[in-house]
Amino acid sequence: MVNENLVKDVVKEPYKYGFVTDIETEKIEKGLNEDIIKLISQKKEEPKFLLDFRLKAFKKWQKMKEPDWAALGYKKIDYQDIIYYSAPKQKEKISSLDEVDPKLLETFDKLGIPLTEQKKLTNVAVDAVFDSVSIATTFREELAEHGVIFCSISEAVKNHADLIEKYLGTVVPASDNYFAALNSAVFSDGSFVYIPKGVTCPMDLSSYFRINSGDSGQFERTLIIAEESSSVSYLEGCTAPMFDTNTLHAAVVELIALDDASIKYSTVQNWYAGDEEGIGGIFNFVTKRGKCLGKRSKISWSQVETGSAITWKYPSCLLLGEESVGEFYSVALTNNLQQADTGTKMIHIGPKTKSTIVSKGISAGNSKNSYRGLVKMGTKATGSRNYSQCDSMLIGDQASANTFPYIKSQQPNSEIEHEASTCRISEDQLFYLQSRGIEFEEAVSMMVSGFCRDVFNQLPMEFATEADKLLALKLEGSVG
Amino acid sequence: MEIIEKIKTNKSDDNLTEIQKICLHKLQASPLPNPKSELWRLSNKSKLSNFLDYSINEKDSKFDIPYPKNSQSTIRLIIGENCQIKLIEKNYSIQQLSEDELQKYIKEQITFFKQNENWSDLLNLSLSCKNNILGLKINGSKIPPIEIFSHASCNSLNAKTLVIFLEKNCAIELLQVNLGKENSSLSQSTFFCLKENSSINHGVVSYGENRSNLLNSLNVIQQKNSTYNLGSLHFKFNYARFEISIKQSAGNAKTNIKGMQITKKDEQISTYTKIEFNGPNGFLDQINKSLADDKSHAIFEGSIIVPKIAQRTDASQLSRNLLLSNLAQIDTKPQLEIIADDVKCKHGATISQLNEEELFYMRTRGITLTEASKLQLSSYFQEIISFIPISKDKWDLLDKLLNEN
Repeated sequence: MVNENLVKDVVKEPYKYGFVTDIETEKIEKGLNEDIIKLISQKKEEPKFLLDFRLKAFKKWQKMKEPDWAALGYKKIDYQDIIYYSAPKQKEKISSLDEVDPKLLETFDKLGIPLTEQKKLTNVAVDAVFDSVSIATTFREELAEHGVIFCSISEAVKNHADLIEKYLGTVVPASDNYFAALNSAVFSDGSFVYIPKGVTCPMDLSSYFRINSGDSGQFERTLIIAEESSSVSYLEGCTAPMFDTNTLHAAVVELIALDDASIKYSTVQNWYAGDEEGIGGIFNFVTKRGKCLGKRSKISWSQVETGSAITWKYPSCLLLGEESVGEFYSVALTNNLQQADTGTKMIHIGPKTKSTIVSKGISAGNSKNSYRGLVKMGTKATGSRNYSQCDSMLIGDQASANTFPYIKSQQPNSEIEHEASTCRISEDQLFYLQSRGIEFEEAVSMMVSGFCRDVFNQLPMEFATEADKLLALKLEGSVG
Repeated sequence: MEIIEKIKTNKSDDNLTEIQKICLHKLQASPLPNPKSELWRLSNKSKLSNFLDYSINEKDSKFDIPYPKNSQSTIRLIIGENCQIKLIEKNYSIQQLSEDELQKYIKEQITFFKQNENWSDLLNLSLSCKNNILGLKINGSKIPPIEIFSHASCNSLNAKTLVIFLEKNCAIELLQVNLGKENSSLSQSTFFCLKENSSINHGVVSYGENRSNLLNSLNVIQQKNSTYNLGSLHFKFNYARFEISIKQSAGNAKTNIKGMQITKKDEQISTYTKIEFNGPNGFLDQINKSLADDKSHAIFEGSIIVPKIAQRTDASQLSRNLLLSNLAQIDTKPQLEIIADDVKCKHGATISQLNEEELFYMRTRGITLTEASKLQLSSYFQEIISFIPISKDKWDLLDKLLNEN
């Protein structure tokens, strides 16, 4: 019998990114009403169409109810007790990175995100978002040479209003769900990516989201448009300091892929998860959706979810274009009192569309880890295929693992296959590894890593190492 | 609210049994199931209201249903036909439960009822009069196979209830047949209590005629070392729901389920199963097949619940579906809810049409497309049908499924 305590110890690891940056910020008053929305819009000097978009979303949000179908239990969120706009105080306009507050650069350095271009060791362009505002975007000029637009969404609103007006809210409409409506009303910043026709983005693009203040919510919005025959790989990372209070994070990500375009969107989510008693931590309610609009377009989501007290996240693909492809690769690790209800939706609308779902859930401690997914074959999705695989691993007898796949087909000439299994760390395998002189801790880590291999293989290089390290961190610790 | 009014006008308060009163009271709190709840979300609302539209009928009209020939080797019981059974033989005994035993057991069950999960049971027990409740206590060994019939008469809503206690070390084969006449609604609730070491091969065959409806609920409690095998088949109903709830009260029990539903025209047939393991070493092997043709809709939702106490549970669930028409639809949702860590649980689901390669192979050997499809379907059906006890020689189920429209 495996020593249960040992296994429990193995998954303990203090949160490394829990520090707070002491920096002067500009916050508006708590609460949410039309005036607040107008104020946010005014601060960001937005055009009228965007203010209308926000107000319309707010009206819809007021009429909506917070969803309760997820297998999550959390205390009610008081939406009037949140600050909806918070930004580090800095000079009006930043023309170069030298003008960014050194404290901010230091923060991102500490998080391992090189913003100063002399440190650009890796070939990754970064857009760093601190609380509500984008701080800096690197490699802009190099990207501009290829016609790639990579900037914060606030800048895009000013400089590329036509694109924003054309695409914003087309994948995730304001009325889509409660949290998307809230985001549409109050979103502060986020990233905007536009890849022109025929361009393969010369480097990986990355956004780094950092929540710093405890009482402000973070509502970022990401919009990625890949024109015909273009391709891009986008990475997203998130961390937050440790607070006793819960912070709300409600983001919306919209991806649009036209004919022959491909978008790969990878996330390593490591928000603060709360302490062992479940105090504090981020409430992560995210709506991510991609639209494969064009023929043979492809959208691939890969995610490693290790943080947040509550995760409510279903990155989805609308497969409209003929022969378009949707992919979802996910590892979700929950520990202590974390709760995750995550999965994907693959909506096959066009003919000959294909989708693959690989989800690995690891639950330890007293956590709750649910996979919830929808695969739907519409009436026109002839010759379409889906394959789903959802595996759960349980560590300890207090954790729970649930699987809720919803499968719906209206097209006889299509195929859906779904399989799910639940297991634990096999004692035989542990014994085998230990008998070969591998430490218990390392053996567990190896096995978890092996369990997640299918997903890690899909992550971009930079993230694969980070994800491996992250899991190893969560799995290393007091075992020896 | 209408259904409650209907029951009340049908019978004065004094004529209602205690159980009917309790259930009616509970039903008043939720006259209809919550259409937003997971269990009723996909259920066709107008078909459900059509189910409730027929007038309540407590006495069956004279049988005009051609039951298959009775054979001497089986015991045949028809719920509603005022049958008194007391069979005490050398090896076994089959006796009716006393009024008290029946009341006590049903009342106890009602305390566990949940609004949406047991709405069908509440409706059934509110409607079922004394004559339409059959309670049996079965004991002993070498018991001849038992057939139990429930049916609904034309243009009426009938409710039948069956309660069976299977005593220790007892093994039986039981086939339950639910028949729906034209324009009828049948509410059937069945309660099984399997004591230690008992085993049952249970078959459920439900088939209707034009516009017949069925709400079929099955509640099974399995004690230690009991074995419950269920083979079920539902077809030809305008609207049918089969709700299965199985509790392994102390684990260490075995459950095998093979179910099938076939929908054509604009029918909707759904199966909901909930299997709870309340002790260690439980075993489940479940397969559910659906076939949807024309404009019909087949639904399967199965949940497996493994709490912390249910260590070393071995459960598998498979949902296999054939979608044969552009206008038909299939929904399936196998679910796992697991807390115990030392378990083996898996599920799978597939939706497809007939295998083209196999069809092609057969056609190259000179078999016509229709014949080839039939061959494929018969192998698809056979797995389930062969698991239904007693039925083989009497019912020609395969023939019915392949050749009747």
